[in-house]
Amino acid sequence: MSDAAPWWSVLAAPALLVALALLAVAADGVLSARAAGRPFALSAVARPLLEVPRLLVAQPRRLPAPDMPLWRIGVVTVPVAAVLSVMVVPFGPFAVSGLSVGLVWFNAMEVLTWAGLWLAGWGPNAAFSLVGGYRYLAQGLAYELPLMFALMTPGIGAQSLRVGDIAAAQGGLWFAVWMPVAFAVHLWSVLAFGFTGPFAYPAGGDIAGGVFGETSGPERLLLSAGRWLWLAAGSAMAVPLFLGGGAGPWLPGWAWSLVKTVAVLALLVWARGRLPMIRADRYMEVAWVVLLPLSVLQALVPALVVL
Amino acid sequence: MDLTAALLRAAAARPHVLVASMPGGTPVRLALERELRLRDLPVALTPADADILLVAGPACPELEAAVERLWQDMPAPRRRAHAEDPREVGRAVANARAGLARRESAESAGAHERAGGEAPRGRHSGGGGHGGGGDDMDSPAGLPMAGQGPDRDGLTLDRLHVSLGPFLPDWPHGLTVRLTLQGDVVQRAEVAAPPAGGGPAAASFWTQPWARATAGERVQAGEAARRRAAAHLDSLGRFLAVAGWPAAATSARRLRDDLLGGASRESVSPRAARLARRVGGSRTLYWLTRGLGPLSAREAAAAGVAGPAARADGDVPARYRLWLTTVREDVDRLEERDPLDPARHEPPRGPLPTPRTPSEALSPPRTPPAELPAPRTPSAALPAPAAPSVALAAVLPRLLEGAELAAARLIVASLDPDPDETAALTVGTAHE
Repeated sequence: MSDAAPWWSVLAAPALLVALALLAVAADGVLSARAAGRPFALSAVARPLLEVPRLLVAQPRRLPAPDMPLWRIGVVTVPVAAVLSVMVVPFGPFAVSGLSVGLVWFNAMEVLTWAGLWLAGWGPNAAFSLVGGYRYLAQGLAYELPLMFALMTPGIGAQSLRVGDIAAAQGGLWFAVWMPVAFAVHLWSVLAFGFTGPFAYPAGGDIAGGVFGETSGPERLLLSAGRWLWLAAGSAMAVPLFLGGGAGPWLPGWAWSLVKTVAVLALLVWARGRLPMIRADRYMEVAWVVLLPLSVLQALVPALVVL
Repeated sequence: MDLTAALLRAAAARPHVLVASMPGGTPVRLALERELRLRDLPVALTPADADILLVAGPACPELEAAVERLWQDMPAPRRRAHAEDPREVGRAVANARAGLARRESAESAGAHERAGGEAPRGRHSGGGGHGGGGDDMDSPAGLPMAGQGPDRDGLTLDRLHVSLGPFLPDWPHGLTVRLTLQGDVVQRAEVAAPPAGGGPAAASFWTQPWARATAGERVQAGEAARRRAAAHLDSLGRFLAVAGWPAAATSARRLRDDLLGGASRESVSPRAARLARRVGGSRTLYWLTRGLGPLSAREAAAAGVAGPAARADGDVPARYRLWLTTVREDVDRLEERDPLDPARHEPPRGPLPTPRTPSEALSPPRTPPAELPAPRTPSAALPAPAAPSVALAAVLPRLLEGAELAAARLIVASLDPDPDETAALTVGTAHE
């Protein structure tokens, strides 16, 4: 059971999430500087952040008949949903909200991204953006069901949907150890709902950036931020679900949460560049024929153990 | 403290660059890609994301309208620059960046800079289409509504007309394919006439050693091998970028740049082997691309395609794996000093047409001269002295129809016709 968090945690949690996302951006900057053969310099860490002033000074463009309200709603939804999702994630012993159905809340926020990206693709009234928008729906259909079972599995193991209870239930053994399939599916799906790396399908270079294609200025900033915030939020969620939350020797709980989150985040940032973009038309088969039955079987394991 | 000035300076520190490569502009594009990679200036995929529009290569009047549309679609602050020569690239980028940091660039009528410092050009009005894909889709804003038609499953769906090219990231520059889409399935594909080059009718950058050897010059086999390996790595870089594997695409492009920079066999060979292992051995990439765009050797021969696309005798993976094999072989031959024998080692995209005098080229046996005032559609250029890329472009419609949009892009990237080959041919015949 997580402690009641002080009032300022409502502000601290988003700030922490943004800091983690910035860390991921910086790590990605270093990785791509190395890949591009640029001599190592400290500036590689900070240079990607120049996107912020660049996008803030950009002036709005005029497009033929865009659907501005829906476009803006879509673009704002993605980062806002990411921030809201971590409200139930305990940081050490504290969580902003000890919601009794925290797991469902996280899942619901993640599904909001579907609507957000679809609207972001629909809004500009441009062919490639629209293709990007419905690519995310196709990708969502593929990754979502295995992910839902993967999220449910630790819930069954802990007999609670409260994220704090799930972290506390791993006193003896981390869930990652005896629910490896669910853990792997969760990590894999973080890349999917962050529409990044092998799952950059809705924002693919083959459709000139897809949902990003017509965005500029602050809208582009929000949408890109959403991408990194989701990567950070997914990593933060993996810690209480599978890695024992804040449990660990010597250090206080919050420090262990931070260390584990950063480790998961680093793994995901590194994994982004390892694979080509997976198209939903090919992935669907793997997701439903292989991953879905596997994650159902995985969910069965704690169900049998607990009963 | 002037906040706007500070923000503008910060924005100019890492601008995104939209590259518009002109016919005959391959060497400029290569120099530019290298410059952008080393200076950490990201390539913009669409005008919406671009701060600098960089026109690479000799000015092409036919593409001017398309370039203008890209420019109109860019948000201010923006700058525009033109590099006609690989040596101008560094200066053009630096000038554009310096201009971007000044306050005027934030005003909507941004200036236009040439590396040579010519006068700024005024804005054209109108031309309000989108850039990138140059899409015309249904809209109440004075644009035509989409018509409907039966799709492959017998449903009546909207037909969307989308042009790929002439400017699209990781696309054979200047090539235009007009697609009729239902959903994202290609119902019809049509290859448009490639733009005539604005420059002199030189051979394509990638076939230069062969053109020189045919002209009687002594060319070392190693030099041709270097050029062919770089050409395949350029194609691979494009293909891998389209396949959504930017890390591998960067490796291919770095290797290409080092080869063109004169790197030795010892330094390149292990990296070529590593790339071949990583990309050629990737089960994921194979699983994602197998079965796409099958072109058997027999069909290829019937369509006039020779060279690697015909020898691969198969789908997309067969073609990119053949490129990788050829790169490794060529890298091992970098130090060969024997004269180049074009019959034994063919140019990157297949044997070049035997040189003819322009009058001969204008009167191929099967085509009456009356049909040749504009010998610029691939079909018109096909009969006699077809450059390999002309045949490659001509097989595209058949391979693209029925493919999903992402698959269509992979198919084009796996054939990678070089519009410069076509343009060189077009200029050669058109000035008669």
